[in-house]
Amino acid sequence: MDQQHLAGPVTVALVEDHQVVVDGVRSWFAPPGPVELVAQGPTIESVRDVPADVLLLDLHLNGTMVIDRVAELCGGGQRVIVFSEHEEPETVRVVLDAGASAFIGKGRATRESCLETVLEVAADRPSVTPPMAQAIATDESPHRPQLSDKERAALLFWFQSMSKASVAARMGIKERTVRQYIDRARVKYAAAGRPAPTKEKLLICAIQDGLIRPDEVKVYTSLAARAGEEPVPSEEARGPR
Amino acid sequence: MTDDIEQVAQRYSRYTAIGAVVIAAVWHTGYDLTVTVTGWQSFRWPALAAAAWVVYTAIGVVAALAMLRGSRPPARARALAVAVLAVDVAVIVSCRPEDLLGPIDWGWGSVGWLGVLLVWNRPRRRRDLMVFLAANAGIMLAAMAVTGTYDRVSIAKYLVVMVGAVTLQLGYLAGCHTLRERAEDAVLLARRLASDDAWRESARRIHADRLHRYAVIRDAAESLLKELADGADPGDPRVRADCTAGAMRLRRLITEREDVPDELVSALRERIDAAERRRVLVTAPPFGEHLPHLPDGVREDLLRAPIRALDGARSRARVTVSAMSTMVSVAVVADNDDLPISATSVREPSGVVVTYQRQEGEVWINSIWQGP
Repeated sequence: MDQQHLAGPVTVALVEDHQVVVDGVRSWFAPPGPVELVAQGPTIESVRDVPADVLLLDLHLNGTMVIDRVAELCGGGQRVIVFSEHEEPETVRVVLDAGASAFIGKGRATRESCLETVLEVAADRPSVTPPMAQAIATDESPHRPQLSDKERAALLFWFQSMSKASVAARMGIKERTVRQYIDRARVKYAAAGRPAPTKEKLLICAIQDGLIRPDEVKVYTSLAARAGEEPVPSEEARGPR
Repeated sequence: MTDDIEQVAQRYSRYTAIGAVVIAAVWHTGYDLTVTVTGWQSFRWPALAAAAWVVYTAIGVVAALAMLRGSRPPARARALAVAVLAVDVAVIVSCRPEDLLGPIDWGWGSVGWLGVLLVWNRPRRRRDLMVFLAANAGIMLAAMAVTGTYDRVSIAKYLVVMVGAVTLQLGYLAGCHTLRERAEDAVLLARRLASDDAWRESARRIHADRLHRYAVIRDAAESLLKELADGADPGDPRVRADCTAGAMRLRRLITEREDVPDELVSALRERIDAAERRRVLVTAPPFGEHLPHLPDGVREDLLRAPIRALDGARSRARVTVSAMSTMVSVAVVADNDDLPISATSVREPSGVVVTYQRQEGEVWINSIWQGP
């Protein structure tokens, strides 16, 4: 699936087995708007035939967790946003490692935050929701990326505070810099762990946008050539320029 | 638990070691000394036999002291084993050839017990003892060859004594080892049972607590549904807020996963429930399952300020806990208008750092503990 060029509404397919949630999401994406819900169903198979820029996936379908399906979907190039109440960091890390572009926690989701996440993901830009911020900041696995102290602090404060503006005030920096720290951490996270086409798109876009340089994310340059090998964790972050 | 197992292992090792020393001592004084004294006239060189008895005794004392002090084999056990075999040879040499398999040749049937003491607690004790006993058997066989003692009765005697001694000595060593292993297994099993009981008890408490909270929510949901059925307006902000609050509480119950109640989490849950009873809308993502062990005083310092913010929340609050192996961060964002705010971070005596921030009608209180 190519990068979204904003030529029309971003198309979304929703996999969700609770009608009340389906109705809620449908109302969020009601036309006219930047996002269009083009398919909906209670199983992954029920929406797979309809091409969509982004797949919004509930993790708990008909009594079964479908975490293990995320890697398969992302491996095919499908951008996946997980939409679940299972916000525990361990679960978030598993789906991000599998290639999910973002994780939206049902407990705190709003129309605005959901639209923002969908648009960022469709454009292959880093999107970090509060549950993702916590999961990335508290990762202690051997394959975790090396985050700078400021990147980790920005992630944790973003998860635990009321806004990025409050994080900026706490850290004594500009809000734009807070965003840079968070986005860079997200891109580093995409570079670590197992390779996936969805992560590659994010890395390409981050390099094009100047968020990181190719040499800052060593794994990127070798991903295509060494697919299947153990990726190398990225270098220690440098401060934003 | 490891300490307990180690203690049991040491106790069993000590008492079985005492048993081995007593057997060797009783054998050496009861039989070896008796036959040396009573058969004094029968020896070719009785002084050599007496000297061998004394050397045997000295080596036995050294080995026994080492075992009883630390349940460990003595230093230079290999050299002592060679000396014990020399004692064996000395007793054989001190006897006349016709007494080689007679009662006064006490060495070859007795040195095996010293061997048991010398290999005690060595990593490969069974193999070492077998080598030692084989050497003893070989020496006796060589002596029989040299003296031409090939008759059937002598060979039968040799085999009976050798098999009997080896069985007793190897059997004792193996039996003690098995006894110690079984004792360790029993301790492990007992600890596992105790741990299972504790887990079952804590699971029962969690289950009872969840049932109670479900019951409370069910009552709230029932009255809400009744209200709606009686014509309450779903567009009414109060009704909508009540529905949202009920959904939040249900969602939290659904995503709770811990098997053992963490004290910090329990304390927070209690205050969250209290806030909800005051009709405060509380959001709290799952707290995670692996909070690190906190030193004394840290939990209280982590909770004090955030709980004060939560207790004073007017209508909404968000409670979060982030944890790593050496870090715990507790935060509350709430519309608390009265909480006094410190402009600078406050460092508590336990090392917990608390920061305060007020922005757009909300306070953000964040306490962080960083371990060593």
